Amino acid sequence: MGDLVEVENLTVAFRSKRREGLFRSGPSLKALDDVSLTIGENETFGLTGETGSGKSTLAKVLVALYKPTSGTVRFLGREIDYKNRKDIAFLRQNVGIVFQDPVRSLNPSLTVKEVITEALIAAKSIPKKDYDERINFITKLVGVTKDLLPRRPRELSGGQRQRISLARALVVPKKLLVLDEPTSALDVSIQAQVLNTLKRLKSELNMSYLFITHDINVIKYVSHRLGVLFYGRLVEVGDTRTVDTEPKHPYTQSLISHVLTLKKVGLQEAVVSEHRPAPSGCRYRIVCPAAFERCAAVPRWVNLGSGHLVSCFLYDHSSKKENGALLPTTAAMGGDLRVPPHDPS
Amino acid sequence: MVVDNPGETDARQTLAPGISSRPPEAARPPEESGNGTVLDIKDLTIDFVSVDGRVRILNGVSLNAKKGEVVGIVGESGSGKTTLGLAILGLLDSPPADIVSGTAFFEGKDLLKLKPAELEKVHGTGINMVFQEPLDSLNPVYTVETQIGEALKVQRKRQDPPAAQETEGETKNLITDLLRNLCIDKPEEVLERYPHELSGGMRQRVAISISIIEKPRLMISDEPTTGLDAYVQNRILGMFSAQRKAGETLLYITHDLTIASQICDRIYIMYAGRVMEAGETRGVLQEPLHPYTSTLVASVPQGFEDAPPLSVQLGEPPDLRNLPHGCKFNPRCPYAKDVCKETEPKLEEIFSRRYAACWRVDKELGRFS
Repeated sequence: MGDLVEVENLTVAFRSKRREGLFRSGPSLKALDDVSLTIGENETFGLTGETGSGKSTLAKVLVALYKPTSGTVRFLGREIDYKNRKDIAFLRQNVGIVFQDPVRSLNPSLTVKEVITEALIAAKSIPKKDYDERINFITKLVGVTKDLLPRRPRELSGGQRQRISLARALVVPKKLLVLDEPTSALDVSIQAQVLNTLKRLKSELNMSYLFITHDINVIKYVSHRLGVLFYGRLVEVGDTRTVDTEPKHPYTQSLISHVLTLKKVGLQEAVVSEHRPAPSGCRYRIVCPAAFERCAAVPRWVNLGSGHLVSCFLYDHSSKKENGALLPTTAAMGGDLRVPPHDPS
Repeated sequence: MVVDNPGETDARQTLAPGISSRPPEAARPPEESGNGTVLDIKDLTIDFVSVDGRVRILNGVSLNAKKGEVVGIVGESGSGKTTLGLAILGLLDSPPADIVSGTAFFEGKDLLKLKPAELEKVHGTGINMVFQEPLDSLNPVYTVETQIGEALKVQRKRQDPPAAQETEGETKNLITDLLRNLCIDKPEEVLERYPHELSGGMRQRVAISISIIEKPRLMISDEPTTGLDAYVQNRILGMFSAQRKAGETLLYITHDLTIASQICDRIYIMYAGRVMEAGETRGVLQEPLHPYTSTLVASVPQGFEDAPPLSVQLGEPPDLRNLPHGCKFNPRCPYAKDVCKETEPKLEEIFSRRYAACWRVDKELGRFS
């Protein structure tokens, strides 16, 4: 499995609107802070975390709706220069996106067919005579019947709208599909249908998915690998089964233990206060029950074997003063995750 | 130094309040109100009238809730869950709503026949509701503190005999504690803000705290935790459990079966404005009688990436303007027979305290056949 996307030390900062004085702008907020990850070909990478953890920011960087403040994004080995139009076009040609809200992400004044055709026009590379054939092919694949084509979004149900978003994203073949909470607004039975369709599509169209959701049950069901974000920082990455059954980071452990399932009985006592990120060091240390003095520094990545990585001092058994690369090189790890060269001092 | 070791987690779960140790329900006919039945809805039918004609939103819904019980109303969008909640509160505007038939008794009074002034006395401390969209229920021009404080004042005034009002400082402390309990960080700062300055999740929690502080005898919550993180969701559900212990009745409207399985004593499964199945939560979800309930249960994702596809019904949710003949679920039902397409089944007691409306459920065998 080669790497399709390589994200390295990605930081996205937003400047606060509130100004301090006339000329000084307010503090900037890091929505993503030094995030590195890779998505392999034909892989579904699940990204989870609570509201405000930066999940959607990452999605938007991958379709060039946001520009990175620092760090690099490589797609098919090509480093994307976000100032270069050609690079952005290249990225958008290969990456599709489906948003959470099926109402707001479709133009209400266009018919379903027009919505999908717009994507074809935007791609530029497709001759006009092929449009109908393409639309027929994709609508059949995502399960949109022909009678829906002349309708407008408001006449459709949530599940149908989300299928149309899918058709629009995939009518021009993509290498990567970014799914930002694609089923959160849907009813359970419709969610199940959409999840089934997504799984089928992936094998039929040879794509990778970046699947973003806060619903652990869903993410477990769809993704090969899982990344957990906490306030802009990735805290744990690994094989979904491993992360779910043996979560290592205290945050992941707490997150997984709070997941409701049909079989679970009784409620898990929630943490006392809302999660507040620490301004420095490990962001989770304010709430973390296992925090100790080392957590004041930014934790390094610890490789627990077979691509399971955790960014937590509990597993970092090197001495505090030791400097330099703790981890084997990316190549030695099977290219699972680029190791950010953290400075522990 | 592992934080939550799995063994510990399990132990805590079984000890969780009120969930595992449920008091046995006393056998009593539902007609006898006054001995524990707080809410008793019978045969409620509601139409919405518009220029396009009449649409039946609720059709012969009967439902009851006893003191201290958590009753779940589960169904997909358009099944009439919210309309039911609004009808109980008397908040349906007429027109477009038209209450065709039915009664809704709350503590011996028919809510559907109360005058606005009488209804107002019931609202708040008698019955209140947490709405799905919190912005609708908060006043945009008052701070959080004022709004929660107002609810507290009403609660104190209506106590029998009226309790003394707290001083400003005491009120503030009470509210801060409540907000902190709902996982709100720095509640002192939140108190001074206006609803639009808060995130969706925070607003929802402010709305919930207004409801909680009024200590209603019946609380209706309409998808109160939709869109909230797992932690906050757990915390809110935990607070609801605590309220139940204090003798409050809760009507919990949701489409999320995992939540319903956590906190509800009994659930009603609704489809196209009808009750399809009802009974004790565990029984209904573990051994569903109605094919619709089975599909809902099967729709909850379980397992990992290599798990088989989820078994789901085909087709879209029902169009209330254009419902099929017979059982309203029959176009989506894999087990539909001829009779299902002709006559609509009635909700019947299949065995003790388990109800289902399905031709394929055999009353003698007591199961789906």
